[in-house]
Amino acid sequence: MEQMRVGYQPLWRIRLKLWRKSLANNWAIFRKSVIGVIGLAIIIFFGIFGAFYPVYQVIMHNSFIYDPIAGYALDEPSNPAPPSWRHPLGTDPIGRDIMSQLMYSTPREFMLGVLAALISVFIGTLIGAISAYYGGFTDTFFMRTADVFMLFPFIATLIVLSAVMKLDIFKLALVLGILGGFGGITLILKSQALSVAVKPYIQAAKVAGGSNFHVIATHIIPNVLPISFLYMMFNVTGAIFSEAALSFFGLLNIRMSWGLMIHTTDTAGYLLGSSLIYYWWLWLPPGLSVTALCAAFYLVGRGLDEVVNPRLRER
Amino acid sequence: MIGVALLAVENLTMHYTTTKGDVQAVDDVSFELAKGESLGLVGESGCGKTSAAISILKLLPENAKILDGHIYFKEQDLVPLPEKEIRKIRWKGISMVFQAAMNSLNPVYRVGDQLIEAIQAHEKIDKEEARKRVAELFQLVDLDPERMDHYPHEYSGGMKQRAVIAMALACNPDIIIADEPTTALDVIVQDRILHEMDKIRERLNMGMIYISHDIAVIAEVSDRIGVMYAGKMVEFADTVTIFKRPAHPYTHALMNAFPSLLGEKRDLQMIVGEPPDLLDPPSGCRFHPRCPYVTPVCEREEPRWEEIEPNHFIACWNPLSH
Amino acid sequence: MWKYLVKRLLQIVFVIYIYTSICFLLFYAMPGNITSMYATNPNVKPAMRAKLIEQLGLNQPLYKQYLTYMDNVFIKHQFGVSFSHYPTPVWTIIKRRLPRTFVLFFTATIIAFYVGFTWGKIIAWKRGGVLEYSATLVGVGLWTVFTPMWGLLLIWLFAFKLGWFPINQFLTPGKWLHTTLSSTTIFNHMLLTAVAASLLLFLVYSLTRRLIKGRSERAVVNFSALAFAIGAAWWAWSSKGTLYLGLDILSHMIVPIITLTTISFGGTMLLMRDSMLETVKEDYITTAKAKGLPDRVIRDRHAARTALLPVVTSFVLSIAFAVDGGVITETIFSWPGIGMTLLSATVQMDYPLAIGTFVFTGIFVLFAHLVADILYAYLDPRIKY
Repeated sequence: MEQMRVGYQPLWRIRLKLWRKSLANNWAIFRKSVIGVIGLAIIIFFGIFGAFYPVYQVIMHNSFIYDPIAGYALDEPSNPAPPSWRHPLGTDPIGRDIMSQLMYSTPREFMLGVLAALISVFIGTLIGAISAYYGGFTDTFFMRTADVFMLFPFIATLIVLSAVMKLDIFKLALVLGILGGFGGITLILKSQALSVAVKPYIQAAKVAGGSNFHVIATHIIPNVLPISFLYMMFNVTGAIFSEAALSFFGLLNIRMSWGLMIHTTDTAGYLLGSSLIYYWWLWLPPGLSVTALCAAFYLVGRGLDEVVNPRLRER
Repeated sequence: MIGVALLAVENLTMHYTTTKGDVQAVDDVSFELAKGESLGLVGESGCGKTSAAISILKLLPENAKILDGHIYFKEQDLVPLPEKEIRKIRWKGISMVFQAAMNSLNPVYRVGDQLIEAIQAHEKIDKEEARKRVAELFQLVDLDPERMDHYPHEYSGGMKQRAVIAMALACNPDIIIADEPTTALDVIVQDRILHEMDKIRERLNMGMIYISHDIAVIAEVSDRIGVMYAGKMVEFADTVTIFKRPAHPYTHALMNAFPSLLGEKRDLQMIVGEPPDLLDPPSGCRFHPRCPYVTPVCEREEPRWEEIEPNHFIACWNPLSH
Repeated sequence: MWKYLVKRLLQIVFVIYIYTSICFLLFYAMPGNITSMYATNPNVKPAMRAKLIEQLGLNQPLYKQYLTYMDNVFIKHQFGVSFSHYPTPVWTIIKRRLPRTFVLFFTATIIAFYVGFTWGKIIAWKRGGVLEYSATLVGVGLWTVFTPMWGLLLIWLFAFKLGWFPINQFLTPGKWLHTTLSSTTIFNHMLLTAVAASLLLFLVYSLTRRLIKGRSERAVVNFSALAFAIGAAWWAWSSKGTLYLGLDILSHMIVPIITLTTISFGGTMLLMRDSMLETVKEDYITTAKAKGLPDRVIRDRHAARTALLPVVTSFVLSIAFAVDGGVITETIFSWPGIGMTLLSATVQMDYPLAIGTFVFTGIFVLFAHLVADILYAYLDPRIKY
């Protein structure tokens, strides 16, 4: 039996203890989900991979300052060159080391995905909670807005926007976040917030004199957060995929990304016919990386599903 | 045990395997049921009554296993029987009315169709014949046969309960197991359903196992009563004996915990303590931490299941005498 | 029910109006216009470009262009004339290209849905074990695979290495030299054939379910009905003399369909699995088991039937979103459907065509939502409007 500490503890301390305990609990549940752990492992792998870039530069190319975006591999007879000791994944048509490009893009992909997802979920949670709480006109307004946002064909709209404004990583993340945040995720989060809003303790809070803001911020939103966190994972997948697709079509103004690597291969004509297999190192590493990272976040999302939704758990 | 029993459960032991360990839900439970007899299983929530019931029909979830014991139905042991054979016995030999019966009906199919499904699963009968049977069943439980083609959400709670009872009767089973069939209903409907079920049982000469935590209800409908505690059967005798001469301290305490409408006013006597955690049950007799008559042997050894009088079984080191 | 429909339709009109306006403004916000592509062309003098702008009405004040466009779309019911395909009306272009997209995506979506549904049902029923993990990993892997890479890989495998199918496009022009029929006609014929065959098979399936009890007998009848349908279609097409054209298009469809099916079945499969896991916990499943019903009957008739509801909704919605994902696939396979039209019209800044296509897909999506809601009400008797 645990001994209860007699005495007055500050509220934040108690909250912290509870939070830490629930975190440990949830981690134990998450750990049991094989696919969740696999996803997490892949994410950690890529994290280390991206962080490894400066070290890699020093080890591999310590003879001169090598910029994977503009550099030219003088040590290869012809480019693109197949994998070798000096260039583990070979070089691309204009002589840049593939491995460096891969590593250099990794943190940017992470940042893009996570930022876009955070914005989406932030907007979605806020709107969902407000719609659920106030109901009526506010609700209808936001739901119709979500309808309109969802009508736009996603990729095509991004194409239009990329022409309207020059999209770099941050702007793209912002656009992806807003487009996603006002769209489908709002519906899901609203229905979740609704199931919280009808609970008796919300009424109790209001009767006790809590302002609307207080009720939303301290009661509704924390209870919706697990689902928000869950959908954030799926949003990261979508964001990384969208960026890769757009870069592949050459529509973005990003200096280096995995999608751009495949685009370079395409414009140089190495994606056709037998070149596809012979020059595999040009498109397979970035393509696999996009797939792996997207899949990783998705798997983590599914692993989280079991934490958030107890009914899916194995007994 | 007597050979003529319709259903004889001997030393049934069943565990659930969970992430936290093995829950010893049913441990060495024995009871029997004769043809046309009504048996009541009573005990606190979580004492294993429902677990014992679903073990009889082998409706166990994936993480549950029968570890020991025999379940003789018409002198055939069900425990080693393969799934294919059990399926034949289900519903036709033994049927069940579950707790919160309103959820027993699939919401996307019509009620009548679900009863027809039960009948057609066990008998070669065409749809028209089956429909007639269902109409009769509906009348038996006092439901309007016109309602056969409605959906479950169009029924009231009491009506759903009756529909589920009708469904349980569909194949003329030898035994019906009713698990807290009236708990989710209001008191008036509860009373009606209870008596209707008893009438039907008498008419069809069916055996019935009635499970409840409400001893008042059990007393009304049962011929014999089995008292369960923490996964074990502690006392088994006919109703009068249980009420007038309970020999197990737990049974005795249960009797005293209920007020009597007649008789003198007295304070309700509660049983101190809480039911044990079945992951790690107490040593020896599982009731010993709460028993007012506990002795050292109770903590050391589990009491044996003995017949202290004809047809009065008990597991206790210090049975009360009257 | 009717009141609900009317309400929904009014909402749809309102939403379309807002959506069209936003599309309009969005496109006009893009720098440049249709003449921009001539900017670097020495043969096209600035004066000619100015004349073109005037002719297309692009020099009028924005609000006037907006009002004219709205008037055209909502009052006169026409999308205008395409700039890049002048003087072809936008609607004609859409009409021409729509069947191509439709045939491709409809087939792929149906196959993907069926595969996902069946697999999801099976792996949910047998919880845990190698089957569930491998199916989940494969499903997720294909769901998140980078589409261009995957498509190119499949093209290489099937078209290049194995040589079974053509590399891209939707027909081989050489085969169409001697016919006056357009591809649109053939596509429309294909759609008709598919619809007729589906109706026939559905009819046979419902009849056998009612009349024939044995599973194996039913399977035999359904199978022979399928064979009959294929045979009848074959006969009908060859007697018209268009069989070789149909087969040509069909052979071009195979690799895109494989691509689309593989990348989308994962979503349905996982959704079905989740839905089944929720349904299986319900009491009526235990009751069904207690009734002595065989395992497969419980799984298919009770669990899957109820678990189907959210999956069907997502299926209908995904048909609508097929247009969007189609942009990538159609570009890779050079399949000239709505997706590619969207892309090229946008890039060229052909306002009427671009906006027209956007609006058209929007209307399509809205109606798909409506159908999804009605279908849901039909499948779940608890829902009433």
